[in-house]
Amino acid sequence: MPRTSDSLPASFRDPGGFLFSRGGILYRQVNRVGADDYTRFMESGLYEKLVKAGLLIPHAEVDETPADAARAFKVIRPERVPFISYPYEWSFSQLKDAALATLSIQKRALKLGMSLKDASAYNIQFLHGKPALIDTLSFEIYREGKPWDAYRQFCQHFLAPLALMSRVDVRLGHLLRVYVDGIPLDLAGRLLPSATKLNFGLLTHLHIHASAQTRYADADVKSISPKGGMSRNAFIGLIDSLEKTVRKLTWKPAGTEWGNYYEITNYTDTGFAHKKEIISDWLKKIAPKSVWDLGANNGEFSRLASAAGIPTVAWDIDPSAVEQNYLRIKSEKEQNLLPLILDLTNPSPALGWANEERDSLGQRGPVDAVFALALIHHLAVSNNVPLSMLADFFAGFCRWLVVEWVPKSDSQVQKLLRTRRDIFETYTREGFESAFATRFHIRESVDVKESERRMYLLERKE
Amino acid sequence: MHFSPPAYLDPGSGSFIIQILIAAALGIGVAITASWSKIKRWLGIKPAADETDDDDSDADAAN
Repeated sequence: MPRTSDSLPASFRDPGGFLFSRGGILYRQVNRVGADDYTRFMESGLYEKLVKAGLLIPHAEVDETPADAARAFKVIRPERVPFISYPYEWSFSQLKDAALATLSIQKRALKLGMSLKDASAYNIQFLHGKPALIDTLSFEIYREGKPWDAYRQFCQHFLAPLALMSRVDVRLGHLLRVYVDGIPLDLAGRLLPSATKLNFGLLTHLHIHASAQTRYADADVKSISPKGGMSRNAFIGLIDSLEKTVRKLTWKPAGTEWGNYYEITNYTDTGFAHKKEIISDWLKKIAPKSVWDLGANNGEFSRLASAAGIPTVAWDIDPSAVEQNYLRIKSEKEQNLLPLILDLTNPSPALGWANEERDSLGQRGPVDAVFALALIHHLAVSNNVPLSMLADFFAGFCRWLVVEWVPKSDSQVQKLLRTRRDIFETYTREGFESAFATRFHIRESVDVKESERRMYLLERKE
Repeated sequence: MHFSPPAYLDPGSGSFIIQILIAAALGIGVAITASWSKIKRWLGIKPAADETDDDDSDADAAN
């Protein structure tokens, strides 16, 4: 597809249309080649049904000049997603819910004579705490007999990682970062225990599927496929089976890195309440439009921002903490909080074709305010990052920075130093203030009651 | 057999063939369930609700 100057680099595969940005507004051009599918999708009632169920992002048809007029049928303006996240940043249940949302959409589509032509995990985003499809052009008119083109993609993007996370180790979800088009099924098959062959869904959709890929790699599908193709009942049976298989895959957060963090922390009740009070007070003063809570654990402090209506992303390295946070958002139907997995010592990079399809952490900024609560000592002591480099890092993507300074004498820092030589001479309150003063103004600072810790409100120097 | 219009996504020849075989087997179950529901309806037994008929339902099924 010819790229126009303002078309977006993540949207080039589907000839049916593409995304473009103009004047800071996101549009999607529907190409003439995708006109029939789009028109039927809108007229079938499927659009309305999916939007009502919260499974599809709403859009409006607009009178905007197309980005590529020669191929254009229509221009639509989709509702903007506050923050784009990627499957390798999701916890187990986030990926599972995204998979179930995809299948639920496909079941609804089939009832109305439509079908999903792709099943990419990247087409799902979390909106108001729930997974929703963001690609309006993912639908095509269903033709009886035609198999599901997206079957392989669904298995690679959803089933394989979920099976590996559930049956081997939850950290295998990170493989999605290496394999941007989903985990190769033969690899998943080799990593899964043999017992998974006793599970009908995993046996067929993963193990046998993987063998078939090798066996029929060069086959001429037309000559060896059954004459009638795939009946409607068979199609429904396939989707039902995938759904059952996904539903049965479970994972319980256990042995978490910070699982019971708030029970082992050295805060008194008074100190804990005072810390919350300070943060809430500062949030009122700076009124940020967006917040990233870095090292958010299960989102205890992120909620001070999200509950005040501020779109907040709660990042943590621990899949268990992110899982617990997501499950709480789900059960309490919270709207403004998105929990995601992130290793700050190696943040999400730019990935995909020309490194332009998936944005890095920094490219998805800037953000108005960042919380770095009891975080600096992990980066400075455990990961040996000099304080001046930390100041540069934060100044790269935020205006306001809320820091909880944990001194060396604190039991949590002592724990980190227990097995190593203390090479951190500059890790002092003065060292911290002077390192951060090069990039930030210290607007306020307060000692937390009944604690050795100190809170700072910093504003980036322009 | 519908091979046109061609998919923009490569379905993969192995994935294409195997899903037809798996789905054919699964389709029998769907057909049986459908006939059974018809018999039950004829007998006046109310069929179980389908989540995709319920506009308020969502896909939050992870546990």
